[in-house]
This record gives sequence, structure tokens and C-alpha cells, in this order.
Amino acid sequence: MVEHSVQQRFVWRRHFNKLRWVTLCLIMSLLILLPLLHIYQSFVAAHAYNLLANSEKRLYDVMETITQPFITDPAKDLDAVKGTTWSMTLWGLRLSDPLAVLGQSAAGLTMHWPFVWTALLPVIMTAVFGRFFCGWICPATLIYELNSNFAAWLRWAGIKTGNWKLDVRVKYGVLALGLAGTAVSGSMIVSVIYPPAIVGREIYYAVALGGFGAGTVFLLSTLLFDLLVARRGFCRFLCPGGALYSMIGRYRLLRVRREVTICNDCAKCNAICEFNLDPMHDGFGQECNNCTACMAICPTDALDFMFRPTDRKVQGPGHLSRHFRHGKDEDEKPPPFHDEAA
Amino acid sequence: MASAVAAVVPGQAGAAITRSSVRYLRPPGALEEQNFLARCINCGQCGEVCPNRCIKYFGFGNGLASADTPYIKPREKACILCMKCGDVCPTGAIKPIRREITAILDGVKMGHAIVDEDLCLSFQGKSCGVCYRACPLPDIAITVGFMEQPHVTDKCIGCGSCERSCIQMPQAIRIVSNHG
Repeated sequence: MVEHSVQQRFVWRRHFNKLRWVTLCLIMSLLILLPLLHIYQSFVAAHAYNLLANSEKRLYDVMETITQPFITDPAKDLDAVKGTTWSMTLWGLRLSDPLAVLGQSAAGLTMHWPFVWTALLPVIMTAVFGRFFCGWICPATLIYELNSNFAAWLRWAGIKTGNWKLDVRVKYGVLALGLAGTAVSGSMIVSVIYPPAIVGREIYYAVALGGFGAGTVFLLSTLLFDLLVARRGFCRFLCPGGALYSMIGRYRLLRVRREVTICNDCAKCNAICEFNLDPMHDGFGQECNNCTACMAICPTDALDFMFRPTDRKVQGPGHLSRHFRHGKDEDEKPPPFHDEAA
Repeated sequence: MASAVAAVVPGQAGAAITRSSVRYLRPPGALEEQNFLARCINCGQCGEVCPNRCIKYFGFGNGLASADTPYIKPREKACILCMKCGDVCPTGAIKPIRREITAILDGVKMGHAIVDEDLCLSFQGKSCGVCYRACPLPDIAITVGFMEQPHVTDKCIGCGSCERSCIQMPQAIRIVSNHG
């Protein structure tokens, strides 16, 4: 009997997807922590620890413990990080969602340059990494992915979930309509239909202002849309921000590529892809958000990154597939066992 | 009909659907209402930086254009003029203003206090003066005369501390905001 010692290499790209979940969870916990921090700050500013209720004292103590290593003066230093993914201040660096800038320009019908520059870094990042915001940062993505996992449980339990196919170009219409409504009304209508802005805001309302607002109803209806109409349907077909990122990232430099020589056409990548893309036939397009779920699940590590402004042309069947190895005629018969061949 | 026409003219819809029944102030340094609505991106940073937690956010109660924009109701909690919201605002919907009396007097115009002499205790022969003591700009924005009867000057910036502190119910002094 021959002992096979299999050398397991550590392949980074198998683990990017886990890293992505960690990032999403970190962003979500940041969005929950910042309103708590704000409440703590208001307690600090009031200089009245003894007047706090017991629950408030607990919050005060916990936040004091958390923030103590990072600051010297709680009255001043706690203002360093403010905002949500919609618009954020990080130690003086201001970052805004490109959709916020576009919407504000539409609402005022002018460009307010100090604000426009805050979207510069995100736009450059999107031009290089494509819809990375959708996969790696968007706080709504965490909720939507958990929702689509929930949909998988429902299917496992025998309950049908929606599997409709809309045109992915619908979202460009939503973007145009949202911007038109913003321009006509002269106020940011587009932020009312944009889930990441809603999630950040609603968490703030719920934690610091005592209750969820109207945006939560909209978010819940998009979750229902995902369950009843299509998997990740809102992101794929309706999200105005997704539309904007798809356009900016159309010629993104970082792309997923399929190495045809080691692909075995098992189609796991197509099954796992939340956006219902077609990695097995080199179909990524401008919708791909580099979430790397396909890389994580690929059993032969045939999916990898490449730096190229366009996708590869369709390469045909994978070279490890039965289809490729045996030709069309033998495809129906099971392949011979190794023992029989020997 | 006029409001329906206004609703399709760019920049006018906010005026059409802002309801006069909701009395509120914008944060200190906020632009004039139409420009404010056009600038504000509903990011919520002004409320998140406010150490007094007086900045709250509209739902759809003040019309669609005002949804998720910041407001202050001085009777609930008045602005303490810390001027942090203007510093953090990314779009300049709330102008950054230094925390000095001259800069605040020049830049902040949230509203203007008015006194109802029929309600005010000092005008009823019971010396009170609470609004004067609460005012961050005493003798500039508000002066007191006989029996501590308050007189609001035209320098009042409308922070709302007087309305917040008034011991009469309903309050005898209140802020009328600039946007009507």
C-alpha cells in the first residue's frame, strides 16, 4: 500500500471571501458602534455621570473601556470618526459615496467642488476594482447575503423562492429616475432608495434617536423582493448605486479570470455567484463585484485575479472537463475507472 | 394647482411640500431652506457630532423633500451653539462657523425669539428672568427691564435656549424660524 502525502499549499485566493465577510462585519459593527459612541460623547459633554440611569452608566463604562486605548481627551478626540458609508469623516479625511456627489450635484444643479473631491478616492478605487463597494463595504450587502442564505434554507425546506430574470439594465433607469427626481424636487430623493445610505442612517436612528424610520420599511421590502422575485434582485436589477459603480467600473483593471487549462466545468462558480454571473463561461462583465466567492469554492483553483481592462474572450470548455477530454460522443457514457484502464 | 406646478419646477418642490404646521429650526449655520435642501445629502453626521443631541431627523412628516434632513425643536432640546455640526458637514449645507461671538452673530440665523406678553410671568407681575439667564448672548440678544421683563433685540440668532428654559406652559417665548 502506497502512502500518499498530499502537500497542501496555502492558496490566498481561497480565503479572500472569508476576509470579505470579516470586512462586512467590521463595517456593520462600526455603524452600530458609532451611534453608541455618540451617546457616550453626549454623556461626557454633560459632565453628569451621577445623573445617569443605570443602563446609561453601563453604556458609559463600556464605551469608556473601549475607547480609552485610542484617545487622550474624551471631550475632543472622539470626533475623529463620524458618519456612515454614505459620507464619512476619518481623522479629517472626508470620503463620500459617488452617488451622494452625483445626487447633490443634481439637487443643486451645480457642482460644489469641496464636496465633489470627497468622492475622488472612491471613484478611483471603483475604476480600478470595479463594484468592490457592493461586495466588500456596502452594509446592506451583509444583510442581503444573509437574506439569500436564508432563501437557501427556505428552498432546502421545500419553499420556493423567486428566480425571475429581469434585465440588469433596469438599474440604470432607476439611477436616471432617481437623479431626475432629485433634480426636480431639489432635495436628495436618491438617498431614500439607496440601501447602504438607508442602513447606516436607520442604525443611527434606532440606536441614538430611539427608533427605526421609514427607510427600514423600504429595506424590508427590498429583502422581500430578493426572496420573492430574484436572488439578490435589488442589487442586480434596481440599485442606483450599483448602476453607477457598474458604469464607473466597466473597464476596471482588477478582474477575475478563468484558467481554462485547469477548469473542470463543475459549475460551482455559477451556482455560488450571488449576481448570477457566468464565471464558468468567462462571463463576468461590469456586474462582477470581485467578491471572490467563486474563487473560494473552485475545487481546482482555476479562478484567479488578473490586471486587464476587459474580460477574456470565451475560452470554451475547461480542459479538465469530461466534455473536453472525451469529446462529445463519449460524454454520455461514464468514464472508465483507473483500475480498468491499468 | 399652484402647488402642483411648483412641484415640477426644479428647486421649488421643497417650498410646495414644506408644511407650515411643523415648527422647527435648522442647525446653526444652515443655508437658507431651498439651498439647504439642495445641499444636504442626509448623511447624518451633524446629528452624530452634536454633543447635546438636539439635532434630530425628519421622516416623511415634513414632506418628501425634507426626509432625513436635520432639525431642532427648541422646546424639546435647544442648540448650545457648539458649532461642531458646521465643521463636520461635508457639503457646506451647514456652514462652518468659528465658535466666537462675532462669528456666531454674523453667521448664525436660525430664527428669532418673540415674547408673548400675555403669557410671560414677568409681564404679569411675577419677576422671572429665566430666559435671560438661559440666553448664551445675554444683553446682546436679549435684555431685561422692569421686573426682568425680556426684550429681544434684532441680534437674536434663534438658538432656542430661552424657549427651552421658559417655565411657563405653554412657553411665553418662542423661536420663529427664518424659513417660515
